[in-house]
Amino acid sequence: MVNIVVPGELVSEKPIQMPYAFVENGKTYAAVISLLDDRGGLIPLQGPYDPAPEDLVVGVISDIKSSGYSVDIHSPTPAFLSSKDTRDRFNVGDTVMAPVKSVDEIKHVTLGGGRALGGGHLIFVPAVKIPRVIGKKNSMVDMIEKAAGCKICVGRNGYIWLGKGGNVTLAMKVIEKIIREAHVPGLTDRIDKMLKVI
Amino acid sequence: MEKPTLVVEGKRLDGRAFDQLRPIKMKAHVINAADGSAYVEWGDNKVLVGVYGPKECLPRHMANPYKAIVKCRYSMAPFSVLEERIRTGPSRRSTELSMVIRQVFEHTMFLEAYPETEIDIFIDILQAGGGTRCAGITAASIALADAGIPMRDLICAVSAGKIDGQIAVDLSKDEDNYGEADVPVAIAPRNKDILLFQMDGLLTRDEIEHMLDLAYSASSVINRMQVDALKEAYSGERTEAVLPL
Repeated sequence: MVNIVVPGELVSEKPIQMPYAFVENGKTYAAVISLLDDRGGLIPLQGPYDPAPEDLVVGVISDIKSSGYSVDIHSPTPAFLSSKDTRDRFNVGDTVMAPVKSVDEIKHVTLGGGRALGGGHLIFVPAVKIPRVIGKKNSMVDMIEKAAGCKICVGRNGYIWLGKGGNVTLAMKVIEKIIREAHVPGLTDRIDKMLKVI
Repeated sequence: MEKPTLVVEGKRLDGRAFDQLRPIKMKAHVINAADGSAYVEWGDNKVLVGVYGPKECLPRHMANPYKAIVKCRYSMAPFSVLEERIRTGPSRRSTELSMVIRQVFEHTMFLEAYPETEIDIFIDILQAGGGTRCAGITAASIALADAGIPMRDLICAVSAGKIDGQIAVDLSKDEDNYGEADVPVAIAPRNKDILLFQMDGLLTRDEIEHMLDLAYSASSVINRMQVDALKEAYSGERTEAVLPL
């Protein structure tokens, strides 16, 4: 049985500083609707993308500035890709994959070394579900790539790029299933079974 | 219109006891396009809430580099009341309610986590039957939790007041219109903080204390319903679509 906690619900009687929780009067409470795992940690079920350095994100060029590009990475604050950090030239609407270089104190993101992703399909899934799409050591992505035969780039921010060729419909179907059942245990086995049947 | 008798043989107009709530139904995550949403039926009230954000703050000059700003819009549908149709758009009343509801949530959310952004709360009253601001706050709280915005507590609100000399909780439209006093209260159930307290009418200090007792016990019932609505929406499979762009 998975244990869902809602904002304000007691997580621990001791004060523990951890993500998605807060401490008040020596006790720890959940701040976000999340799953309480066996070790007492919180796995959020919903929420915006919280950028962190070295995250690999997928974004769409939304504007061209004099010194670089504005990139839509579906985070609450904007992302910027400097022309110095990339050899490629982009147009508005191009899809790029880039690592987060830095996040400043007001959470504005600077990307480093963007790479263009030509053609293909771009889909969006909730950012909190991305760890399940990636799987342990990329196991899930590798499995989908192998079954569908198309290149897949998963951004931590929730954008997923599916390359040209291969069975894109299948890949989308599998990702949809992952999102739907992300918090139900035994996901990898079920996806494995689903892909074997097909 | 003449004032109706609000208390008959120790019971209220709709047969409730003085400490009894109207039937309440809550559902979280009802709008796919919104980041968070909720629908609440509370007696005759029907309230739909959508939450968007945190997102880029527009206009830019309103952005705060230290925290997110909250924008709240409470509005009643033209068809929401029995009397003359309400004109669409903001009114004096809805502007005030938008403000007090905004202030309730400004004190609840961890706004510092999202500098230079805005969080939009849209509260639409589809059908009104007394106590819409309380139903609105209760629904908005579920919607904010559904959006995954960090909060200190799930706020719930309930009205209390005085009808025909008796203190009662959760006033209906007639009790509100013809009663002696109406007091909407928003409560943080965990530490019993009061986040909204408005009073229309007159009450003595003792009456207020009695009324608050009733409101506190009602709030724990409402809070349990909010938690159940959220947990129900998140247990089992979700019908979230992968959005092609």
